[in-house]
Amino acid sequence: MKKVFHILMLMVVIIGLSSCEKDDPVIPNEGELITTLIYTLTPQNGGESVVLSFRDMGMGQPEVVTGTLKANTNYSGAIKLLNEIEIPVIDISEEVKEEGDEHQFFYLSTIEGLDVNYTDVDEDGLPIGLATQVVTKAAGSGELTIILRHEPAKDAPGVSDGDITNAGGETDIEVTFEVDVE
Amino acid sequence: MLNKFTYLIAFFVFNASYGWAQLCNNSLVGHVVDQHSGDAIAYAAVAVEGSNKGTITEEDGSFVLMQLCNSDKVLHISCVGYKKAIINLDSINGGNLQIKLLKAVSTFDEVVVNANYISEAQQATKKVNSEDISQGANQNLAGLLEAVSGISSLKSGGGVSKPVVHGLYGNRLPILNNGIAQSGQQWGNDHSPEIDPLVANTISVLNGVDALEYQGRSLGSMVLVEPARISAVEQLNGQSNIFFESNGRGAGLNLQLQQSAPGLAWKVNGTLKKRGDQHAANYFLTNTGVEEANIAVQLEKKVNEQWYIDAYLSSFNTQIGILRGSHIGNITDLEEALKRDVPFYTKENFSYTIDAPRQTVQHHLLKFQAKHLINSRRWVHFTYATQLNNRKEFDVRKGDRSDIPAMSLTQFSHYLKAGYTSLLGNNWKWKAGLQFTFIDNTNQPETGILPLIPDYNSYETGLYSSFSKKMDDWDLDFGFRYDRQIQNVAAISTTVPREIQRYNNVFSSYKLALEAKNYLSEDVYWLMGVNLGTRNPEVNELYSNGLHQGVGGIEEGDSTLKPETGIKVNALINGQLWHKMLFETDFYYQYIDNYIFLNPQDEIRLTIRGAFPVFKYEQTMAHIYGADLNLSYLFSSQLKVKGQYSYLRGHNVSDNEPLIYMPSNQLRFSFVYELERLAGFEKVTIESNYQYVFQQKHLQADQDYVLPPDGYGLFGVRMSAYKQFKRHRLQAYVKFDNLLNKAYRDYMNRMRYFADDVGRNVVIGLNVNF
Repeated sequence: MKKVFHILMLMVVIIGLSSCEKDDPVIPNEGELITTLIYTLTPQNGGESVVLSFRDMGMGQPEVVTGTLKANTNYSGAIKLLNEIEIPVIDISEEVKEEGDEHQFFYLSTIEGLDVNYTDVDEDGLPIGLATQVVTKAAGSGELTIILRHEPAKDAPGVSDGDITNAGGETDIEVTFEVDVE
Repeated sequence: MLNKFTYLIAFFVFNASYGWAQLCNNSLVGHVVDQHSGDAIAYAAVAVEGSNKGTITEEDGSFVLMQLCNSDKVLHISCVGYKKAIINLDSINGGNLQIKLLKAVSTFDEVVVNANYISEAQQATKKVNSEDISQGANQNLAGLLEAVSGISSLKSGGGVSKPVVHGLYGNRLPILNNGIAQSGQQWGNDHSPEIDPLVANTISVLNGVDALEYQGRSLGSMVLVEPARISAVEQLNGQSNIFFESNGRGAGLNLQLQQSAPGLAWKVNGTLKKRGDQHAANYFLTNTGVEEANIAVQLEKKVNEQWYIDAYLSSFNTQIGILRGSHIGNITDLEEALKRDVPFYTKENFSYTIDAPRQTVQHHLLKFQAKHLINSRRWVHFTYATQLNNRKEFDVRKGDRSDIPAMSLTQFSHYLKAGYTSLLGNNWKWKAGLQFTFIDNTNQPETGILPLIPDYNSYETGLYSSFSKKMDDWDLDFGFRYDRQIQNVAAISTTVPREIQRYNNVFSSYKLALEAKNYLSEDVYWLMGVNLGTRNPEVNELYSNGLHQGVGGIEEGDSTLKPETGIKVNALINGQLWHKMLFETDFYYQYIDNYIFLNPQDEIRLTIRGAFPVFKYEQTMAHIYGADLNLSYLFSSQLKVKGQYSYLRGHNVSDNEPLIYMPSNQLRFSFVYELERLAGFEKVTIESNYQYVFQQKHLQADQDYVLPPDGYGLFGVRMSAYKQFKRHRLQAYVKFDNLLNKAYRDYMNRMRYFADDVGRNVVIGLNVNF
C-alpha cells in the first residue's frame, strides 16, 4: 500500500508542475502572400496612365481603385503583385515571371469592344500575361476580371488565346474592376 | 467437430501466469475465453471448490485468485449462456491458464455447428475481430469498422477516412489506442486516425457505462483499438501476413514475433504498406498513393504475486497523397471542377509518386502500466502514457514551396491514471479512478502561412466511478464521470501588424450513464441504456480563423461557444431463434443541445483570391436517431444468409433543416457458403455480398454545392481457406471488391465533388502462424 501511495503522490506533483502558460507562437514569415494587384495601363500614343488596384490586407473589405479608359485607344498593360504585409514589401510579380511556365493571367471583360492581348511569353513560348496590350473601341462600361492561375494546362485548346475554359489549375488571384470607357 | 474452430483460438493470444508455493499465499492469474470465437468472456464466475474463494472475470476475460492453499485444486468456471467448466489445477503444468468455455446449447453435432453461429449473438458489442482484421489488411481503421452495422466513415479519398458511429465523428468520437485517447488533430475532417489496425486484435465500439472510465471528449460512444496480450508460449512464435491488391498495385507485409521468456514476455509487431495511384471505374485517381511503416513493441512482466507491469510503444508513420484534381483555389475553381467528368490533372499512366497535395503524419505512443493486487477482490492500476503527433500537410504552392508544409502541427501529450476495482458482496463490482491529460499543441512557423487553429495548452483532470451488478437474468450498470479542462490559448491576430492574442478557458463536463440488460431466455436478451453528458468546445470550434484550403471556404470560430449537452437513449434486442435465425437490433435517439456545427453564412467574402463563402461555428438544438437491424438465417450447416439495414437521420431542430455529413441509409446482403473440408483445406468459405447505399435525400439543395450523389450498389466476392501443416497454419484469401467496376460517388466521401470513388479491387492475402 505504501508504494501505491507514493505513486499517487508522484502523480499529484507532476500535475502540479505542469501548469504553465503556453509560449508565444512564432509569427510566420508570410513570404508567399499576395495582398496587392496593380494594373497600370499606359496609352501607347502618350498620355496619362490609368491605374487599377486591388489591395486586400486580410482585414475585411478590400480597397479597390478603378479608373476610366479612353475610347479607341491602345494601352500597354503591366501587372504588379505585391506582398505589403511583409516589411520590406515583396514583389511577387518577379516570382511569377521566373516561373512563367506555371502561371497565366486571364482577362475577362464584359465591356463591348475591349480586347486584352498577351505581349509576353514564358520559356515555352506560351503567354504569361504580366504584360498585355489593351485595345478599346466604342465608349461603354462593364467589368474587367483578372484571374491568375497556378499550374494551368497552358497547352490546352484556347488557353494561349486567353480562353480560361480549359485551363484548370488553382486560382491565386481573382479580382474584378468596374471600368468605364469614355 | 470442434477442431474446425480451433483456428480461431489460434488467433487469441493470452497471458496467464500461475504460481505455486507452500501455505495459503498462492495466486493464480488466468483468462476465460469463448471456445469458438476466442473472445474474452466478461463476468464469468470463477470459484474454488470446497472453499468460499472466488472472483468474477473482468471485461478482458482476465481474473486473479489470491491466497490459494495447496489444497485448493479444483476451479469451477460458470457464465450465463455457457456450459460450466471444471478445471483441475494439478493437470496444469506451470505456465498458462486459459479456460475455454463452450456455449450451452446442446451436445448434438448438429447444434455444435450452430454454436459458432450463436457466438456471434454474444458479439453484439459491435466488434471487429482478429480474423476480419487479418483479412482486411489492405484497409485502414475506418475501413475495417465499416463492416459493423451502424458504423460508416467520412472519407477524403482512398487514403484518408475516419469512423462515424451513429452520425458522430471527429471531435465527438474519441479513438482509444490501447486504452489511451488518441491525441492528434481529430478536428480535421481530412485527418485519418493515426493507428495501424494490424497491431490490434480487436476493434470495438464502446457505449454507455463502458466508456465512462476513459478520458476523451465524447458524447457517448468511443472506438477502442486493443492489441492482443502476449501469448504465454515460451518458444519464439508469431505470424506473418502478406497481401497484394490490384487497385493501386499495393502490397503490405505484417510480421509479429513474440516470446514469453521467463521473467519477461515480449512482442514486436511491424507493418509496411505501399500503394500507388488508385483507379476509379474509368480513370486513374492521380496522386492517391499511400505509404506506411509502423512498429509496436509490447513488454509484460510479473514482478511478484502482487505487482504486474507492462509497457507498450508504438510508432505510426505515413505519407498520403491527396487527389491532385481536388486542389482548388477558390469557389470558382470548385464550380469548374464540378462540371468535369474526369478531374483536372488526371494522368493516363499509373504512378507510385506522391506529390503535393499530400500529408505526412507520425504518431508515437509510449505507455506504462502497473497493476497491483491488494487481494483477490480488490486491485489498483496506474498508467502513464505520452504521445507525440506530427502532422504536415503540403499544398501545391509557388516556387519550391510545395516542399514546405502549408500546415505543420506538433501535439505532445501526457496522460496519468490511477484506477481502482473492487468486487463487493452480492455480485456488485465497483470501479473508480482519477485521470489527468496534458496536451501541448503547437504550429510550426516553417509554413509561411497564418495557422488555421491557434497554439494551445490543455489541462484536463477527471474522475469516474461506476457500479455493476450481475443477477441471474439481469445485468445492471451505472456510473458517472466529471472532467475539468483548462485551455490556455495563444493565437496570432489576422489584423496587421500581427499580434499575439491570449484566451484562457475553464470548462467542466460531466457524464452519467445507466444500463440494464435482461435475458428473456438463454438465447435472447434486451438492453436499454440512457446516457447524459456534455462535451466542451474544442479549440478549432472556438478560434479557427482563415481559409480552409481543402474546403474552399473561410472558417470562423466563435469564442463564446458553450459546451454541448447530449442525451442518448438506446434499446436493443439480440438473440437467436430455433438455432437457425440470429437477430440483432439497435434503436437509438440522441438529442444534443448547443450542437456545434459549421453554418454557411449569407456573406460571400471578397478577397484578392476571389470570393469565398464564409462558415461560422454556431450552436443549435439537434437530434440524431436511427436503427441498425441485422438478421441471419442458417439454411444448413453450410449456407448462411445475412441481411443488414442501417437507418439514420440527423436534424437541426431549431432551424428545421437537416444536419450535413450524416451517413446515408444502407442495405447489405451476403450469402456465405462454408465447407468444413475441401481438397486438403479446412473451413473453405465462399461469400458473395451486395451493398446498397441510398442517396442522402435528407438534405436541402442550398446546403451543399451539388446534390448528394445517387444511390449505388456494389457486388463483392470473398473466398478463404485454411491449411494446417505440422507446425504452421496457413490462411489464404481472395477478395473482389466492387466486382462490376461500378462508377459511383459516395455522399460521405469529400472527393465526390471531383472524382468517382474507387473501382474494382482484387486483394490476395496469405497469413501464416508459426
